[in-house]
Parts: sequence; structure tokens; C-alpha cells
Amino acid sequence: MSLTSVTEYFTPDGNEEALELLKKYGDSALIVAGGSFVHGLEARDLLTGIEALIDIQSLGLNQVTADSAGLSVGAMVTFTELQQVKEIRDSAALGALRDALNCPPLQIRNVATVGGNIASACPYFDLPTAFMALGGVVKVQGAGGSREIELQEFFAGLFQNTLEAGEFVTSLFLPLLPDRSCSAFIKLETNANDLAIVNVAVRVTLDESGSCQEVCVVVGGGVAETPVRAAASENLLQGEKISDELLKRAGEAVQSDLQPMSDHRASAEYRSAVAKTLTERALQKAVARL
Amino acid sequence: MKKLITLEINSELHEVAVDPAESLLQILRDKLGLIGAKRGCDSGGCGCCTVHVDDKAVYSCMVFAHSLQDRKVTTIEGIAQGGDLDPLQTAFIEEGAVQCGYCTCGVIMTAKEFLATEQKPDEEQIRHAIAGNLCRCTGYHKIVEAIKVASDSR
Repeated sequence: MSLTSVTEYFTPDGNEEALELLKKYGDSALIVAGGSFVHGLEARDLLTGIEALIDIQSLGLNQVTADSAGLSVGAMVTFTELQQVKEIRDSAALGALRDALNCPPLQIRNVATVGGNIASACPYFDLPTAFMALGGVVKVQGAGGSREIELQEFFAGLFQNTLEAGEFVTSLFLPLLPDRSCSAFIKLETNANDLAIVNVAVRVTLDESGSCQEVCVVVGGGVAETPVRAAASENLLQGEKISDELLKRAGEAVQSDLQPMSDHRASAEYRSAVAKTLTERALQKAVARL
Repeated sequence: MKKLITLEINSELHEVAVDPAESLLQILRDKLGLIGAKRGCDSGGCGCCTVHVDDKAVYSCMVFAHSLQDRKVTTIEGIAQGGDLDPLQTAFIEEGAVQCGYCTCGVIMTAKEFLATEQKPDEEQIRHAIAGNLCRCTGYHKIVEAIKVASDSR
């Protein structure tokens, strides 16, 4: 990492101190959690003029708490720590998160954090797609207090989020899902350590007869500037009895929801074709968990 | 502005003057002469710089040295016990899992954390565990063999 304009590294002991530093340095401050994507941001020329790194490891944001409403995950919780959470290990409903957490290599899982992963707003990441399918809500802290932002609203574009000046991410909330919910995530990548070409996360809730009561299909990994909900696919599934034929059609429908990007990893046409197949497979994988 | 940080490296306490954006890899290689961790891609993609922080494998190129106050770092130079090589080091030598050697220290450090958590891993688990380490010589076959031998020798 070169980051030649950086002159200070702060490790504040509390929220107040962190907020004061953010205020003092403004646009020339960068909040650092695990730090594993700082290079990625720098390589994309997104860190020019950054003078102060503000490390939030000492703010007590490394807790995961579960209650009757859901799971609250602190911004500093690493992927490895999240993998060890009992509610995630055992649950069909959170299967998509388990799948996504298993993608990055060990050295990333040990360092990368939930807060950093979300705040980066990188369209090629895996966890945001899964978090969005699971109805994630971001909690942020600013000088005026804290507020909550649905993930779908939080991602504003390529490496852009809707944080206002002086705010930072403190946790992610995942609501408890109804009984008979299941989810799954699948990623296509060129090698084990690469960013996604396409990734898909799906969540469905079935009733006793196998009909789809709730559904969420999210496609990410470079199909757009943020992960996107696939409304056509969801509409096709909503209220219908699950069958192989229906899941196949839901995969096909996803193509009308997408306008994928073309880049050095894949063409738009290829991403669209892959999204269709991955959606069908992710739905099958999720339903098999019930 | 440089700041002094104190951290434990291979069971010795070190006080190091660190620039704000300096990586752990930079201080290991350029300030402390611990050159087992290699600088490959310098962007968290190749695994050659893998060391342990608090017994967990990390890419040292993407960890800010500043974040390591009072933490414990272990590098390839610190895993032999007394005069005895670590079983992974021995297995890599005996199985011929080293060719040019550039990736070797990183692969061993990754495998070391993996074997601490998996008692009897199969080949698929081993291959998944070292997915974050690139080797351009061996084709991985002998590396996987060596990790299996080290695991079975316990």
C-alpha cells in the first residue's frame, strides 16, 4: 500500500472521538475496519487526498447479538467470526450467508469485516448480495445520532453509499425470518481468489403445501453498479407452488431484470446467461435446505 | 507522522517506528529483516506474504502495521520449535513440495492455521484451505500431498 498522502493513523477509543476526527478531517478521512480492501479502493483511484486513517477496532463494534427480532452484527466482526455464530451455522434461512462467507480465502476471512464489506459498496463483493436477500439493514452513527438504512437504499452506485458526511457504519441487522424460510448463494468466479463475475442470493418462505409465501431474488457481482432485486423473477414465484419447471422459468425471468456491465472479467451477454443458470441453481439449493 | 508501536513477533517483543500507511509486510521485511514473507502482488491476491496475527493467517501486505499494537505476529521464521522444524516444513522438504520456493512460506503459514482447526482433512478440504495461495511451479499436487503427510503424521 502506498497511500502517499496519508499523514496520520488514529485508533480512537470511543464513538465520540471517532466522530470528532471525522469532522476534523472531512473528505480527507477514511474509516478503516479490517483494512483488506483499502488497496482495492486505492487501485481504483478512490483514495486520492486521504490524509487520515481512522481505525475503528477499539469502539466495541466486534459483537454479534441475537434476540427475538434478529441478529445484530457489529461493523468490526470478521467473516471468520461470523462463520462461527451458532445462528448462522445451523439455519436454513441464513444458508445464503453461510455460502457467501465460504467464498473468500482464509486470509481474507480472518481480516475482512462486515462493516468494511458493506461500506465499500463494491458491486463485485459476495456478502452484500447475500445480506440484501436476507433483508439486511445498516445502522450508522453520525454526530446527530444513529439511523438505520435498508441495504437496498444504502448502495447508491459503483463504490458509492448513502452515508452522509461525518457518518460511519456501526452494525448490520438481519431480521429473524419466518419458519420454513430458506436461502442460498452461488458465485461464479475465474479463480478461487477473484471477484465475482456474477453472484446470486435467493430467499424463499414456503407454506405447508410448498407454495411460495415470501421471495427475494438478488443478483450481484457485476451485473450492475449495485446488487439488484430481480422483480420479474420474484413475481413469477410469489404465491406459486414450487416445481423444477417453475424454478427454471424464474431463472429465465431474471434476464429481463438485468442490464449487466461488460468489463475485463466478462461481457454483458455472458453475465446475463450465467445469471439465468445461477438463479435456477440457487433456488434449487435453497429449497433443498428445508 | 511516525508512531511507535509495540508488538510481539516470533515470541520477542519489538518496538517499531511505523509510518501511518505502512503494512505489516513492509515492517517485517524492510525494518526487521524477516524476509520469509515474500512480496508478490502486494495487493492481497497471491498469498506469498501470509503470516499469522494472533494465530490466524493474514495477508501481511494488507494489514496496517499500526493496527497491531500489543498483538502477536508469527512468521515462517518463528514456527520451528528449538532445533526442530515444524512438521509442515519437514513434509514440504521430504515430499518435494518446493520448486522455486517463492510461495512456500506463505502456503505453510496458511496450512498451519488450517491444520490447527482440522484434525483429519481430506484432499478437497486442503485444496479449499489453500485457495488464497498461488503457486506457479508445482501445480499444487505435491503441496497438497505434503500438507496431507504433515496432517497424518500427528
